Amino acid sequence: MRYGLGPEILRDISFTLEQGSLHLLTGPSGAGKTSLLKLIYLAERPSRGLITMFDREIANTPREDLPALRRRIGVVFQDFRLLDHLTVFENVSLPRRVMGELESSYRAEVEELLSWVGLGNRLNAKPPTLSGGEKQRVAIARAVVAKPELLLADEPTGNVDPDIGGRIMRLFIELNKLGTSVLIATHDQRIIERLPATRIFQLTEGRITTAQTAKDLLPEAKRA
Amino acid sequence: MTTPTQSGLMPADSASGTTLHTIVAVMSFLACLTLGAVLTLSRLASEWTEGLSGSVTVQLLPSPQISPEDQLNEALRLVRQWPGIFSARALSRAEAGKLLEPWLGEGTVLEDLPVPQLIEVTLTPGRPVELEGLRHALSDGVPGAQLDDHQRWNQELASFAASSEAVGWAVLLLIALATLAIVIFATQAGLQTHREIVEVVHMIGARDVFIATEFQRHFLWLGLRGGLIGLTLAAFTLIGSGYLWDVREAPVGAQLLPQLISAPYHYIWLLFVPAAIGLIAMGTARLTVLRVLGRMP
Repeated sequence: MRYGLGPEILRDISFTLEQGSLHLLTGPSGAGKTSLLKLIYLAERPSRGLITMFDREIANTPREDLPALRRRIGVVFQDFRLLDHLTVFENVSLPRRVMGELESSYRAEVEELLSWVGLGNRLNAKPPTLSGGEKQRVAIARAVVAKPELLLADEPTGNVDPDIGGRIMRLFIELNKLGTSVLIATHDQRIIERLPATRIFQLTEGRITTAQTAKDLLPEAKRA
Repeated sequence: MTTPTQSGLMPADSASGTTLHTIVAVMSFLACLTLGAVLTLSRLASEWTEGLSGSVTVQLLPSPQISPEDQLNEALRLVRQWPGIFSARALSRAEAGKLLEPWLGEGTVLEDLPVPQLIEVTLTPGRPVELEGLRHALSDGVPGAQLDDHQRWNQELASFAASSEAVGWAVLLLIALATLAIVIFATQAGLQTHREIVEVVHMIGARDVFIATEFQRHFLWLGLRGGLIGLTLAAFTLIGSGYLWDVREAPVGAQLLPQLISAPYHYIWLLFVPAAIGLIAMGTARLTVLRVLGRMP
């Protein structure tokens, strides 16, 4: 994959995310983690190669079919990408709203989800008034509110304290147990330590160089 | 904690929104004033031609064959009997003098001039009058009598009014084009500041039509609000000009200045301006959003 006429950011990458699996994607800054996630959540198209998602070949999928695929994917963006003029409740319920659901059908669920991530008392707050950690949790709640089949998270614990980070990881693990495939891009050692049996894709200079469990990677990662 | 009703995807008000409102309001104001002026010109043109075609004048030149009194009485009798004539009235010497004042000025010079006797003839509205027959009847029956149906003056005035109206429509067209361009430009600029919203909503699975509908609704209301502000300001200006016209002490020549809008139905036409601006803003928003989205995967 390349942006415009620039150099190839990702190349010779081949991996499969099994249904219901939990994976970590690690690598130094600039290795292409975010670009890889963008390919998966259909924000970019590969300049060559194949991506098969939900049994469909993305390159051959008509553009008008992509929204339906995107609704099966939840994304926690690294920079949150919350809409500042909407309340916390409205931001979180946005995926349900674009599906055409009525507010009455998801209101209770959204309120419950926000309580779960510790924002039950901030429903009507606007993002500019939230702390970094609170924004992170709103972004996560928005990503999971439509019960996606695949959840992608780009540095989801980057702005939160260990306690909240732990809660977020428990949420991901719980969603994974319910059948959601989860791919977390991170270089947070705490996450890697918390998920020792998880398969890790390590990305270095645009290539996946290792694919092993967190337990195998840990000593090396610690040395680094 | 209770949750409020969902608000629109677009921010209700923002700095760019205020600028957009102002631009749209100013263009609406100009378009309303121009439309008002064109409608007035159009009304004046028809009033002038209708006013003149509704009346004719009989001019009685002194004749050695008949005394002035007999000449006047005979002419009045003949005209009043003619089918389709509503009324005929002899103008006094003072009234005739008033008509000549703009050319000859006030003073005693009029008293020394052989001013012909004039008869003002009003035609019955909506009834055809055989003016050519009346002209012959007058010239045959009353020595020195001539009928002037203002045809030449009427044609010149009609031609002047028509060309003024055409210029007015051309100016209106230019203002409309400028309004169109500015509203399109302003809408696109407004959308640019909200590009993040388009991208985020697109990424979470919204269909293009959903996003375009949200944006076009926002810009429709923005266009309508700005347009109505402009219309309100223009209406105050037009009503204000009419008020000044009424209270003015009628200085010399004031009667020649048209009142900008006098017919109430003209204000209904002005309502089309904000409606058109709203629709233009809405259409532009839809096309722009769909184009932006079309460039995304």
